[in-house]
Amino acid sequence: MKRFKLILSIVVLLLALSSVGAQDVTTVTMWFGESAFAQCLSDILTEGFNAIDPGVQLEIVPQADTWNTTRTAVVGGGGPDIVRTPGPSFVYEMAQAGLILPLDSFADDLGWRDTFVGWALDLGAVDGQVYSLADEFETLIMYYNKTLFEANGWTPPETTEELIALAEEVEAAGIIPFSHGNADWRPTNEWFVGEFMTQIAGPDNVYKALSGEIPWTDESLVEAVETLDMMMQRGWFGGGIDLYFTNTFDTNLATLGSGEAAMNIEGTWRFSNINDYFGEAANNNNEWDWVTVPSKTGADLFTIGMGNTSSINASTPHPQAAAAFLDYYFSPAVQTQLLGSCGKAPAPLHYAEDALDGLDPRVGKAFGDFFAAAADNRYGYTTWTFWPPKSDVYIYEEIERVWLGEISVDDYLSGLDELFGEELMAGDIPPIPPR
Amino acid sequence: MAIADRIGSSLAAVPDKLADEGWRRRFLRNVFVPWLFIMPLLLIHIFVVAIPAVQGIYLSLTDWTGIRPGNFIGLENYYQLFFEDETFGKALFNNIQWMAFFLTVPFILALFGATMLSQIKRGGMVYRSILFIPYVLASVVTTTIWKNLLNPRKGIGAALADLGIEGFDVAFLGRPDSALLSIAFIDNWHFWGFLMILFLAAMQAIPPVLYDAAKIDGANRWQEFRHVTMPGIRPILLFMFMMVAIWSFLAFDYIWLLTQGGPGGASEVIATQLYKNAFLRFEAGYGAAQGVVISIFAGFIIMIFVMLRRRGWDI
Repeated sequence: MKRFKLILSIVVLLLALSSVGAQDVTTVTMWFGESAFAQCLSDILTEGFNAIDPGVQLEIVPQADTWNTTRTAVVGGGGPDIVRTPGPSFVYEMAQAGLILPLDSFADDLGWRDTFVGWALDLGAVDGQVYSLADEFETLIMYYNKTLFEANGWTPPETTEELIALAEEVEAAGIIPFSHGNADWRPTNEWFVGEFMTQIAGPDNVYKALSGEIPWTDESLVEAVETLDMMMQRGWFGGGIDLYFTNTFDTNLATLGSGEAAMNIEGTWRFSNINDYFGEAANNNNEWDWVTVPSKTGADLFTIGMGNTSSINASTPHPQAAAAFLDYYFSPAVQTQLLGSCGKAPAPLHYAEDALDGLDPRVGKAFGDFFAAAADNRYGYTTWTFWPPKSDVYIYEEIERVWLGEISVDDYLSGLDELFGEELMAGDIPPIPPR
Repeated sequence: MAIADRIGSSLAAVPDKLADEGWRRRFLRNVFVPWLFIMPLLLIHIFVVAIPAVQGIYLSLTDWTGIRPGNFIGLENYYQLFFEDETFGKALFNNIQWMAFFLTVPFILALFGATMLSQIKRGGMVYRSILFIPYVLASVVTTTIWKNLLNPRKGIGAALADLGIEGFDVAFLGRPDSALLSIAFIDNWHFWGFLMILFLAAMQAIPPVLYDAAKIDGANRWQEFRHVTMPGIRPILLFMFMMVAIWSFLAFDYIWLLTQGGPGGASEVIATQLYKNAFLRFEAGYGAAQGVVISIFAGFIIMIFVMLRRRGWDI
């Protein structure tokens, strides 16, 4: 009997202590992917945030398919406190459904309007209220095999005309001009469509088309897609159309690194592992570098893309703690730490001039130039961030039919115009930073 | 009433009471207890299958985005599916091609393999295991292996080209005319071993005396196969015909992992379209309509087999 009483007392004491503990600590939950990259972010964020206030702790749960898991859970009234989505069009849907909280009061109280660059908060606006914070500020650039260029006396092109002339020269030398392929990620196609639209038609025309002021069948946009199609038809992307459809990212980078291919238009996210394909790591003596994707006018233009957004779940019992975490996460110090340690694309914040000093100079220059271009109105638009969902899927699926000769460029853009018009009428267009 | 009368009337009621209790006991044993045992499964089925299925039918009549609540729009999604969406017809045609492939190639291979293996008396288990192993591999593993093997730069074709055997370093998955067939080939590589094991098990259940009798009657190998083996395995053969026909409309993982329906929609099937509509285009209501249509096709296939059974087919 004595033993029973002793055990009972211990159990009661433990329960009491655990309930006291539970009351004292607020846990903010967040779901991330399961990759090594996600683990790197998780480790830094958990360690850094949890050291600030023992009363507010961050718990990051790895999920295999983060977005679909999050969406299902949040629609069902659960999910993590911090809701991450792949882009503004997803935020729009969630905000309309009342699944995420407006962040305006937090933005005012915590000074986010000063932390973020001018247009960045507007990207998360739905019906005049801010619902999400833009993360992973990314753009497309043109990587090239510097050693190969130097050996052949080639100089990086600045205009579309120079790019085409160089591609002809590269092809004549028996080298694949662009190490492209979409076997791992079919939406890769949209990188090129969006990039060529911005670089050839110009960001102003793309903005007008996104605003419904000009149709997608405008001459300038037709020229952009025709140029892309011409390059594909000449076999410059990955060595031929059918090879393009079977080239994986690994193949793309390996051919660029080995010098079998000369250039590669890809995102700044590639900084995280491009070094694996050059130099000692890849058993070659080659070096890489990058330039902006050549434009028709020669202007240095960068398309803006968002890899993720963060919001606060409407069903969270502690929105203040969630906002405190967002305030920590979207700080220049944490963002530069994540960029340096994990290769994460930074959020669109105001950074100090020396913030990128510790990075590989090529990476630092890329983000420095990109931030400057974004502040200087020299930016264009990536399709996955600024196009509504149906038009976005159309862009990367139907362009394959153009490349395969099943439909013409005019048919392709007419189809886009029709679909985009429907989404514009329905008000499904994500917020677009005004020019 | 006299005591004797009262006792008499009580005794008279005994058989009725006993009968009553017997009926109750029989009811409990034969009706209630079996239902009680099956109840957990039934409840799971109701909540996990039946209710979502009914919800799916309802959602197919709405413009649900997958996030926002949908509005009831009647049969609009079905009208769009059958009369406006040109890509649906193409996807349906690809599903039919897929079904034609899987109702022939793996069945022929499996029948041949099972017949050959049934003759092996020693070491048969090794062959069976080797041929069955691909079936237990996860689709993501199988597709990764084959994506590399079929890669024209570093796969089998490239290796053969290095040896001077040209013509196989082709981007099978990157060409519209070969993409679907290549995916079917890969899926079949993993699938046919399973079918073969089923047929082999069915063949081993055929009484050997039937083969002895056939031999005495002078039957050759083909005649034995046709008149003894085939009738012996017919129930499992027809059942698998039905299942494979139904599975053909559910084909998704291999196609998604290898081409995501490309290039240019050449390998698009209804299930990949459904996924894109529901999760990428925010047209979950429309995707639900496609799901209902797949179920109707499956129901139609089952109906054919039920009719054949009623006509006396041994299924």
